[in-house]
Amino acid sequence: MPLTLKLALRTIARRKGRMALIGALVAFGTFLIVFGTIFANSTSIASKAAIIEKFTGDFIIYSDKSKELPSPFAFQTPLPKIRDIERVEAALAAMPEVKAYAPYAQNYGIVQVEREGRKVDLPIIYYAIESASYASVFGEVKTYEGSYLGSGSAGGVMISAFQNSEYEKNFGTKVRSGESVTILGVTEGGVNSVPSRIAGLFEPERYSSVFNYINFMDSQTFASVYNYAGVAALPAALDASLAAAEFDEDAIFALADDPGAGAIDLDLLEAESLSGATMIAVRLKDSGTAKDVIARLEADGSLGIKIADWKEASGFYAQISAGLQAFIYFATALVFLVVAMIFMNTLIINVTERTAEIGTMRAIGAERSFVRAVFVAEALALNLSAALVGLIASAIALAAFSGGGILLPDLISQFLVGGGPIPIKAAAWPFVLGVLAVAVVSVLATLYPVSVATKITPLKAMSDK
Amino acid sequence: MPVVELKGVKKEYMLGSTKVEALRGVDLTIEKGEFLAVAGPSGSGKSTMLNMFGCIDVPTSGTVRIDGTDVAGLDDRELTRYRREKIGFIFQSFNLVPVLDVYENIEFPLLLKKSLSKKEREKIVMRFVEEVGLSDRLRNKPSELSGGQRQRVAIARALVSNPLIILADEPTANLDSATGTKIVELMRQINDIEKTTFIFSTHDAHIMSEARRLVKILDGKIVEA
Repeated sequence: MPLTLKLALRTIARRKGRMALIGALVAFGTFLIVFGTIFANSTSIASKAAIIEKFTGDFIIYSDKSKELPSPFAFQTPLPKIRDIERVEAALAAMPEVKAYAPYAQNYGIVQVEREGRKVDLPIIYYAIESASYASVFGEVKTYEGSYLGSGSAGGVMISAFQNSEYEKNFGTKVRSGESVTILGVTEGGVNSVPSRIAGLFEPERYSSVFNYINFMDSQTFASVYNYAGVAALPAALDASLAAAEFDEDAIFALADDPGAGAIDLDLLEAESLSGATMIAVRLKDSGTAKDVIARLEADGSLGIKIADWKEASGFYAQISAGLQAFIYFATALVFLVVAMIFMNTLIINVTERTAEIGTMRAIGAERSFVRAVFVAEALALNLSAALVGLIASAIALAAFSGGGILLPDLISQFLVGGGPIPIKAAAWPFVLGVLAVAVVSVLATLYPVSVATKITPLKAMSDK
Repeated sequence: MPVVELKGVKKEYMLGSTKVEALRGVDLTIEKGEFLAVAGPSGSGKSTMLNMFGCIDVPTSGTVRIDGTDVAGLDDRELTRYRREKIGFIFQSFNLVPVLDVYENIEFPLLLKKSLSKKEREKIVMRFVEEVGLSDRLRNKPSELSGGQRQRVAIARALVSNPLIILADEPTANLDSATGTKIVELMRQINDIEKTTFIFSTHDAHIMSEARRLVKILDGKIVEA
């Protein structure tokens, strides 16, 4: 064993108490780096997956007239409709990277129920969805009573368990699955009312902090409330006459006098619901292609759309895991700063206590580089051994959580990953980072004490009486 | 050629705002193989003079030649090498490395030289371990030894690198008189056998009497050589 290492190890053993304290701090710092980094990364990965799968999709398309970004709570100032939604949907359908997409809108209104001959108005915030397309992007909303919109029923509204409990708390009543209700919506022309029903009651699986407050309405009911309706097709006779007029203005106006073409029987006209969708959530087969797909869609200015990626569309939710990561790095840096200060202080005390010993070594022929090597070896031997303990502790903790993931209190978990345990994604690089950080901190913390030690002259040996 | 030659050596330093003249023009020549004591009361300048001999301090003016080399022209690295090769030290407080055992302390200067194999080092160390009578204490740490035994380890450590000069700064000051006498006898015995120059400082009259040459110093000046 080299003399420097021998001296370093024995000095550590000689100053057990002091060194054990530093070792414990370094081991804790290493654990914080490795476990903290892996935890933060796992949270980041899980957060992204949960937001994309259950919240926003890979990105959300919205109208280029919108001044606001899409947000789970955009119902207060609903976004403008996507003007040419058929063309946008056609563009999405033509893209091989697109797995599914779901047009939807956010709004608020009143669910009116009858209780003991009295009408009770219950406020509701909702997503207006096409049940099949919404399920293809986010999966079916699981009901604990009734059924998901559109599955064997004529649509209606789905109310969250939390919302229903709020109804009971504030209005003294609850809605029941299958119950007939009237939906009221404020439009430019006044208040519209549409008969509907409670299709089901649900408990959100993820992001209950958002979906406790958001209920669901089928898109046809939504279109009826807001008069999003048109004529499916003109009568055949008028259609044929218009074609015959060949865009000649005089010929077109002359049709009004033609009883065969101009007399329109309104009962024969077929109504068609128009989409009132303000957003389209898009899921990709591979989220890695999102940038490219977004760029291609945005390049077609005629679609009249803007696009928010999952980070923008989820509001602050995507930033929570990034914030957590930053906090862990900050806390780790703080621990290492404290470790470095304590370690430096301890080394300075060691140098002071060992002045005669260092002076003696210098007197009998040890060069400054030898003294430096002794202290650096001491720092590295202690701190790398402690780092090893930290690495082992991290590996044990990671192994313990690898099966079921890390289960945090529900409130925290809801904000981080939409609820449930955080699956651990272990990686090798945080272990390497841990060792490197300890090595760098050890060397940096040693610089000043070493400079003091190497300035000790052989005279100090002679003056040790 | 003398092993030590001091010509007009002066050493001044500041103690607070007071200028202290530790050596006031010292001339001294020491030949190879001498067994010499530097004697004088505390503050007389004997330790400062020993520091000059040991290349661990430089004069304010004058010349210090060790084995013919003017040490004033050497930089820190050269002085270190010079000490490693030419000078052995014995300290008043023994100054052993506390975490090393007897064998390792004695081996220490040889490890710094880096030129010897483990076997060669072992041969040299064992020779001096036997010479100072510590064969049965090889694996003991300094804290497990008596003062006399520690000083024997220090003597062996000073001898292993086969130096030209061994400097001993009050080597018996921390020992009882019987042990002190034995240590000086051991040093003289080694001086007889190895022909190594021994220079030691003391203010103990009994130890002075053991010296073959006595240099007396008072107020930074040699009063008897």
